[in-house]
Amino acid sequence: MFMRPRERVILALKHEEPDRVPIDLGATSVTGIHARAYHDLRKYLGLSEKSIKIIDVEQELAEVDRDVLELFHVDVVNVNRVLEPMAPHPYIYRFASVVDGSLKEVSDREFYVWRAPYGVDVEMPKYIEIVEETDGFIAYIRGKLFGKIPRNGYYFWGLDRWKQLIPLANVKTVDDLKKFDWDSYRVPDDYVDVLGRRAGYLYKNTDYALYFGWAAVLHETIQSLRGWDRWLSDLRVRRSLAEAIIDNLFEVLKYNVEKYVDALKDFVQVIGFGDDFGTEEGPQISVQTFREFYKHRYEELFNIVKKRSKAYIFFHSCGSVYPFIKEFIDIGLDIINPVQISARGMDPEKLKKEFGEQITFWGGGVDTQHVLPLAKPDEVIEHVKKLIKIFAPGGGYVYASVHNIQPGVPPQNIVAMFKTAYEYGKYPIR
Amino acid sequence: MSLDVLSSIKDSLANLDMDKTIDFVKKAVELGFKPIDIINALADGMRVVGDRYERGEYFVSDLIVASEIFKEVMSILEPLITRVGEVVRSFGRVVIGTVEGDVHDIGKNLVITMLRANGFEVIDLGVDVPPKRFVEAVKQYKPDIVGMSALLTSTMVNMKRVIEALEKEGLRNSVKVIVGGAPITEKFAREIGADAYGENAVTAIEICKKLVEELKRAKQKHF
Repeated sequence: MFMRPRERVILALKHEEPDRVPIDLGATSVTGIHARAYHDLRKYLGLSEKSIKIIDVEQELAEVDRDVLELFHVDVVNVNRVLEPMAPHPYIYRFASVVDGSLKEVSDREFYVWRAPYGVDVEMPKYIEIVEETDGFIAYIRGKLFGKIPRNGYYFWGLDRWKQLIPLANVKTVDDLKKFDWDSYRVPDDYVDVLGRRAGYLYKNTDYALYFGWAAVLHETIQSLRGWDRWLSDLRVRRSLAEAIIDNLFEVLKYNVEKYVDALKDFVQVIGFGDDFGTEEGPQISVQTFREFYKHRYEELFNIVKKRSKAYIFFHSCGSVYPFIKEFIDIGLDIINPVQISARGMDPEKLKKEFGEQITFWGGGVDTQHVLPLAKPDEVIEHVKKLIKIFAPGGGYVYASVHNIQPGVPPQNIVAMFKTAYEYGKYPIR
Repeated sequence: MSLDVLSSIKDSLANLDMDKTIDFVKKAVELGFKPIDIINALADGMRVVGDRYERGEYFVSDLIVASEIFKEVMSILEPLITRVGEVVRSFGRVVIGTVEGDVHDIGKNLVITMLRANGFEVIDLGVDVPPKRFVEAVKQYKPDIVGMSALLTSTMVNMKRVIEALEKEGLRNSVKVIVGGAPITEKFAREIGADAYGENAVTAIEICKKLVEELKRAKQKHF
């Protein structure tokens, strides 16, 4: 029986058992692989050596080549892929160069080679300009300060982490909020147009299931505007200000979600939302706070997807988020990711037993803090088998690593993981 | 009546009521309470916050609110302390930083606030701190404890380099080293030769108190 990747993924999302567990490597910015790890993997596999295209500058994620997609039996890809199979629709950016002030016109498919501090030749998108400093490199995105990578670093750290730019840090009143340009978050019409074309092309010309993300990010966006910790205390001690901040952002996010859904509804099977609510030991906020500020708003966004399309809703939330899963199921969530099994309360058996019939687990494929980077390949195989045995029965499971594969992960472990996911993931699971 | 104010301070901090805590602190100052007693009441409140966090009743957002209240209150008390000339008894001195290559500091900052709230003197070296800066800080401040934080498996290896640098300078035995951060484990702490592993900001406080005691005893043995 030959099953197409798209059918396989849809069956899994319907909580039916396809021929085998579908596999994701690189479809999202949280199921991908760091350029350093990808470089080492390609070398280990004896695949052609080439500079690596960066698709997420902050996390330094690599675009996965077709040869690796086929080798690992991957079933889902991102609509914005920059390597084959990819849609022939570039999006043009116009901005003033930080380097010389000239007006630049570049497509998001144009790259230049850059020697990253972690020792790999990567291809950076041309709308990113990099300026060298004594202790690292600063990246500018279309003329705006983006982040910094230290000389011995692996990622471009966002502005809030370097405490260089926390735009709403000093806001005291609701009126102060009016000065902020909330419209900068609004998605332009021509971008949505290109998205739709890309999705349509890949839908018609490939068998892959298609993913688009992020449709909206709420809590984390505000954390980056207000300060990661300050926002958490805003939600407790400055509630009316918090409501006003969320209202301002939410209006734009709702607009964006409507635009995205209308453009993608006939072509994309999975639409991704994301907001990290967890930490290692527990959620950042109580369920009560979640219900007070976020639950009804997310319900509104999810309803846009549900009313206008048949797409499945994917939600990413790192860490210990057990108490939130029921809340999300209440408001119509279909898929939870990354399923961080090393975090408190995120026990695979408990999760599958309590929520397995109502939600799809996309992730939870390997413990990325202790096993994937540090164990021997044999141990990885046994570990992955155990997880598949727990999560796979009855469908509702898409195999992926818990978050992006990091530099330093031995290539033999990555191979062991995906080989096991493919061979052991055949239904019925033994 | 007099003790009511102090236990009100403790309770309102424990219940994360910023306005009430500030009001009661101001009242206590008016009534002539010594800053040290007010700080002890705050420390008691912080301990309740820590307990509730450990029991899963409070979350990181609550620890952050507690630390915000504490900082607000300290800004009221500090001028008083210097004016009165009172020396706030220090449980110990800690030098703390996030290791080289790593810029995560939320956990570290929570530890710092909890330490200060519990009477420790803390020097914050910030983030992306290379081994030689840890060494310089130990020479300059002569702390009891060196604390290191890392969030990444790729940067936690730098903790070992700091310990080796301290050994090389003959400073290792003059301090106790505590490490913490998401990928850090008890096993890792032992392997790299640290003295302790702090699972979170709350457990770190009790561990630091024990470490200071251990260090005192070790130093006394030399006489």
